[in-house]
Amino acid sequence: MSSEAAASVHEAPEGAHGHDGHGHHGPKWLAHHFDTPAQQFDAAKLGMWAFLAQELLFFSGLFVAYGVYRSWYPETFRAASHQLNKEMGAFNTVVLLFSSFTAAMAVRSAQVGKQKATGNYLLATIACACGFLVVKYFEYSHKFHAGLLPGRFFHPHADHLVAGSPPLPETASSFFSIYFMTTGVHGVHVLIGIGVLIWIWLRNNRGEFSKEYFTAVDIAALYWHLVDLVWIYLFPLLYLV
Amino acid sequence: MAAITTTPAAHDDVDPNASYLDKKGLMSWLITLDHKRIGVMYLISVIVSFALGGIFALLVRAELFTRGKTLMDADTYNKMFSLHGVVMVFLFIIPSIPAALGNIFLPVQLGTKDVAFPKLNLLSFYIYVFGALFGVYSMINGGVDTGWTFYTPYSSSDPAHGGVGTNTSVIPMTLAAFIMGFSSILTGVNFIATVHKMRAPGLTWRRLTLFTWALYATSIIQVLATPVLAITLLLLTMERFLGLGIFDPRLGGDPVLYQHFFWFYSHPAVYIMIVPGMGVVSDILATFSRREPVGYMAIAMSSLGLALLGFLVWGHHLFVAGMSEYATMVFSALTFLVAIPSGVKVFNWVTTLYKGSISLQSPMLWALSFIFQFTIGGVTGLFLGMLAVDVHLHDTYFVVAHFHYVMVGGTVMGFVGGLHYWWPKFTGKMYDETWAKIGWFFVFIGFNVTFMSQFVMGSRGMPRRYYDYLPQYEIFHQVSTVGSWILGVGFLVLGIMFIKSLMGGAKAPRNPWGSAALEWMTPSPPPTFNFVKDPVLTRGQYDYHLATEEELYDGLDDPMFPSKASAKKEAHA
Amino acid sequence: MSSADHAHADDGAVHAHVSPSLFYVAVFVGLLVLTGLTVGQSYVDLGKLNIILVILIASLKASLVVTFFMHLRWDNKFNALIFISCIFFIGVFFAYTMNDTDRRGELDPDQNVHILPKTGERAPGGRAAGEGHEGTGGTGGVGEHH
Repeated sequence: MSSEAAASVHEAPEGAHGHDGHGHHGPKWLAHHFDTPAQQFDAAKLGMWAFLAQELLFFSGLFVAYGVYRSWYPETFRAASHQLNKEMGAFNTVVLLFSSFTAAMAVRSAQVGKQKATGNYLLATIACACGFLVVKYFEYSHKFHAGLLPGRFFHPHADHLVAGSPPLPETASSFFSIYFMTTGVHGVHVLIGIGVLIWIWLRNNRGEFSKEYFTAVDIAALYWHLVDLVWIYLFPLLYLV
Repeated sequence: MAAITTTPAAHDDVDPNASYLDKKGLMSWLITLDHKRIGVMYLISVIVSFALGGIFALLVRAELFTRGKTLMDADTYNKMFSLHGVVMVFLFIIPSIPAALGNIFLPVQLGTKDVAFPKLNLLSFYIYVFGALFGVYSMINGGVDTGWTFYTPYSSSDPAHGGVGTNTSVIPMTLAAFIMGFSSILTGVNFIATVHKMRAPGLTWRRLTLFTWALYATSIIQVLATPVLAITLLLLTMERFLGLGIFDPRLGGDPVLYQHFFWFYSHPAVYIMIVPGMGVVSDILATFSRREPVGYMAIAMSSLGLALLGFLVWGHHLFVAGMSEYATMVFSALTFLVAIPSGVKVFNWVTTLYKGSISLQSPMLWALSFIFQFTIGGVTGLFLGMLAVDVHLHDTYFVVAHFHYVMVGGTVMGFVGGLHYWWPKFTGKMYDETWAKIGWFFVFIGFNVTFMSQFVMGSRGMPRRYYDYLPQYEIFHQVSTVGSWILGVGFLVLGIMFIKSLMGGAKAPRNPWGSAALEWMTPSPPPTFNFVKDPVLTRGQYDYHLATEEELYDGLDDPMFPSKASAKKEAHA
Repeated sequence: MSSADHAHADDGAVHAHVSPSLFYVAVFVGLLVLTGLTVGQSYVDLGKLNIILVILIASLKASLVVTFFMHLRWDNKFNALIFISCIFFIGVFFAYTMNDTDRRGELDPDQNVHILPKTGERAPGGRAAGEGHEGTGGTGGVGEHH
């Protein structure tokens, strides 16, 4: 193959390729194809941000649909949004913001090697997520009872509508189609987030994370923050205007 | 002289005769984390898909051989061209170069052991297969007749719920594309992280191969565009299933909105299709002209330029759909802009040939055909981008010919060329050069006969997706159909040639083409972790003036090393 | 890969920024305040300004989450570039789509109407009489304008 490599050979720094006597390439959590923990961590973060970018573009379609239909039926949207409970929505917003806080705290605890605190903050995040879904369940129940359903299932029952709300125009079905699609897709992401966070909690419980390796917690938290980000926009656009 | 040198590996010594293909057994393939094996599995899948899509194409062309009914009724014909499109776009062309050739060679060209996320890579493959199964299910249930674009309200208004659209198996097919989209996205995520974080020492951005640059740009598009397709198809599915009303005028919706959503992905998607092909061509041209491509940085940046500008022009698919006039004007102007990076590449390629040391072996034939055909396809795309012209040419065979020139004359030929070029490296075997040239000839002639006639009949008014047509178009259709048979023969020849190579081809040397790029510095086929010793680069991958004779010359007859060849002859005399 | 210099920075270990707990609490309180603001604003009718304000406040909240909770402030600059370019492309998607949907029928009086002005003929399909796009410019509406 190649020849005289004398002048141009560069040895990798000794510390990075720690031979720990078992012929291992490094610590157990350092994957074989990475040379250093920093490389692995940076690659994971970069990959996750690329994935988050695509998640944002996924939701953007829903927001564009909202934008277009709001622009075409402003009165309908204003009237129909009165059927949504502002207080429940605001409560859910606070719950998700708090869960974002606990997720960030979970990462911080992992970064300083506090296993128990990490676990507790993860549990708090999961609890908030479940709370969010419970509130959503109540909201959806009301819509079902009132017949405010998407598309061809839209049959508003006048007596079940929110008291004192403006009358619902015929075109309101578009609002509810958008409402269910956006909150539905968001809800699926919350469910997935719960699954991911439980998995990370289990791994933390097994002591897999440390000051040197907390990547998975960081990545899971990033996903969770995205779920919160989407709701930060969904709440005012659906409930408040 | 400076060379691509290697240091002792940090892991155990690698046997230089070991190859990634050594481990046998089905499970060693199904649960592999080796990017090369995953790439080979993708390769087999896309070739099978290409064959299936090709059969649909032959059926479409056969039906059009005569006016009226030739083989099938109109409804079946609609399904045939729809399935041809769906299979070719989603099952074949989108994954073809990135997921198959890219997976095998990106880490090798980067001098690293694997992609950044090997498990994600395997998952991407299984997501692709899972999605494809939904597609097969849809086909078994009668397929779709909506065209591969699934335009609303025909696709979204389900007669089972009082709608006015198609009653074919739309939802499984859209779910298939939805699922396969995630395979594409995850591959893109993987490649971006790999290119950023896993380059060998000395491999700066300016020393990447143009194939790597192309894969990088493609990955950006995959990550940013495909999710919009996902949400579009999800909305379509919900519209059909729940009657959402977003795309249904009877409920206040807008069918044109669907087209906006669909083409926001599908236009960048065509750049996902062509940019990797351009990367392959750049690499083949460099090797078979024995020089660095002229304007290396310009070509690299133009790939990124296509990635960026490709997102701004989707409305040119909607010119006559009912968009506002302002929008049409904006999109037309932007479409002119997006032609520029492509032009940059073509000019640089042609200049690379000038005073290059050209060798017309089979991979080079494919690369040269690409340049010729892509130019025709690209320039006709520009014609279509002119608003006033598009009013007449939209939905005619002119459009069909345009996109087949770029997708088949471009991407497929780039893919097949890349397959030829890298075949010795990843299989360890050579194919028969004479049969390769014969296969190329049939494909080249067949392709141009099939589609050049379509430009003519399109410009004379023959609409696309029509089952029947006026008498004046019959001769063009017949010429085109005969062309499709020649094309089919060509692919058959190539298929047999490659199978024979696998079964008993000559053993491939390390560097049969005398290339200076990194993948040719490792054995054919490579060991599992790609290199015997971790490479460190001290020159660029196209620096033929810096490469050593030992790196380039592999004992084959080579005009660049005549003394070696004659010495060999003397030794054997 | 350089061998001798910066052993502490180049030892390959992960050096991520750790924020103080109180800092996170402060960000959370900031988010709560902004939430309160936006809910409060919804009880006041400011017309067109409502939706603009609401989006602005939401964007402020989002920036806090992205910059501090998601660490972009201290992270590799390229990750921030990924995020910004994603926002840019979403913006393109919005702008160009709404450039079309908001301007239907502006130049061509026959586009996007439900009743053809010249003949009074109703377009087949579509909504029942009396309905139409409430917000479109130009000649879109049925009933009120023509």
